[in-house]
Amino acid sequence: MGLLSGIGRIGRDLAGAVLPLQLRDIERELDDRLRKIPAQLNEFGYDEFGLSPDWIRRSILPSALLYRLYFRVETFGIEHVPAGRVLLVANHAGQLPFDAAMLNIACLLEADPPRIARGMAEYWVPQLPWVNVAATRSGQMVGTPENCVALLEAEACVAVFPEGVRGMNKLYRDRYELMRFGLGFMRLAIETQTPIVPVGIVGSEEQQPGFANLEGLGRALGMPALPITLGFPWLGPLGLLPMPVKYRMHFGAPMEFGGSPHDEDGSIEPKVEQVKHAIKELLDRGRAERRGVFR
Amino acid sequence: MEKVLITGIAGGQGRLLARRLLENYEVCGADWVPWEGHPRGVSVHAVDLRKKKFEDVVRTEMPTSVVHMAFIRHFRGDPRRRHDVNVRGTKQLLDHCANYGVQKLVVVSSSYVYGAFPENPFYMDEDHPLSASRSYPEIRDLVEVDTLAQGFIWKYPHIRTCVLRPVNVLGYFVHSAIGSYLRMERIPTMMGFDPMMQFIHEEDVCEAIALALEHGLQGVFNVTGPGQVPLHTAIRETGGKALSLPEPVVRPLFQRMFNWGLWPFPPGAIDYLKYPVTLSGRNFIEATRFRPLFGLEEIFHSVRR
Repeated sequence: MGLLSGIGRIGRDLAGAVLPLQLRDIERELDDRLRKIPAQLNEFGYDEFGLSPDWIRRSILPSALLYRLYFRVETFGIEHVPAGRVLLVANHAGQLPFDAAMLNIACLLEADPPRIARGMAEYWVPQLPWVNVAATRSGQMVGTPENCVALLEAEACVAVFPEGVRGMNKLYRDRYELMRFGLGFMRLAIETQTPIVPVGIVGSEEQQPGFANLEGLGRALGMPALPITLGFPWLGPLGLLPMPVKYRMHFGAPMEFGGSPHDEDGSIEPKVEQVKHAIKELLDRGRAERRGVFR
Repeated sequence: MEKVLITGIAGGQGRLLARRLLENYEVCGADWVPWEGHPRGVSVHAVDLRKKKFEDVVRTEMPTSVVHMAFIRHFRGDPRRRHDVNVRGTKQLLDHCANYGVQKLVVVSSSYVYGAFPENPFYMDEDHPLSASRSYPEIRDLVEVDTLAQGFIWKYPHIRTCVLRPVNVLGYFVHSAIGSYLRMERIPTMMGFDPMMQFIHEEDVCEAIALALEHGLQGVFNVTGPGQVPLHTAIRETGGKALSLPEPVVRPLFQRMFNWGLWPFPPGAIDYLKYPVTLSGRNFIEATRFRPLFGLEEIFHSVRR
């Protein structure tokens, strides 16, 4: 054991010496930002929902490198994210939820004060070994309405993708077409009087072009979807990895909605349409600005 | 001076509570086993709650308040007997309370009655369904006890009845499932799972019961302590060694070992090592201004190994 840990230490020191300066800058920046997140931690370093900034510090570097070097994410209007409770509502695409991960990093690195964007996870996530621990420590929770209300009442920043899997597995020909939005997020926003910040994410919709989705077969195999894309299933699971598209994230002005959370669907739908329209405009702006998918 | 009857007075929590209430109440108690060396001024009756002799105790002692915490919580004996003692014992006690002029009743239930499930929201309030028996049928008697007591609130609105559901209780004296688990030589945990757990100190549970009596609370209340930590942090802080085991192997193994009497917990308990059962104690705090005295570190230090 002593020998092994000795070798480990030498390895770490060498890596520290060889590590490019840029990498160390990113690490330092992450440390600095994580110290400033508005979270109330107990004496063991956990917030009331099981989030651990320490855990994030140790595991976030790969995502931060993707953010800076691979997707070269640019954000616009992130000052619209307020300091208190807020619901970020964004488009969802790209077969794997890299857009959610990049939105998280954007809120941590660029927002002021830095925020942890809390995601609402699928119901089966807590049953996956290790994944459930990673999700809890990094601030994700099961997407029950109770959890969302508890987070917002604790002045958290919650990110939701009302397109859900419909969006994630959309086909290439439908890129930047917003799928049907669920209504739940609007009811929760009204109930907790939370401002909604629309987010248009340009890039993820082209990262892994899908040509078909064999939903029925996928469900039979116990998967939420079975996309046929440029790389999948021909290259195996690796075929789902995204291409190095450039991400542009546009944050819109906060929108506030009144009324009752228990109104019938008919009166909730127009409000959801307003948010959808705002996202659509942000997407159009982002696409008009760019010179190409990869630049 | 008001007189309070404590059932289960010879247990760790019962003894603490008796000493705590002695300052403000005349205290008597009933338990299956006698309490050797009980403090002077406390009268202790060794009786079975299901028997006529217990009714005589209530009739002669004439308590104005009752705290009910006489439950079998371990799984060592015959499960049918455990069920009968817990459920019929509670039923008898409730009848006596209605018949002999008891004015306040506190029933000490637990957080386990909600059940451990992946879809549990992070903070469950008292309205959350009690689903423990879905995955942990061995503790359905505790769910039934809780439900009986809730029914009693509606039937006898003039009696101030209060059901308390404290989170995991730790301390020097109390015998709790979580306490015996954390005192194991090697503590089995499920590989890849590390749920958040809430803890409360045994003295704070006494304080909560005393507050419920003092305020004459009526209703169902979660009682939470100073906070929550992941299971592995609790194991480390109480000086234990976790043994991480793959669940698909462990579940059938524990089932066999439990059947043969080699392992103290039924396999349903495994879910409590995987999924969070975290409660919102907001209602109790608002009703009583309860503030736990003991912090997490003190709670962990109070676990003697």
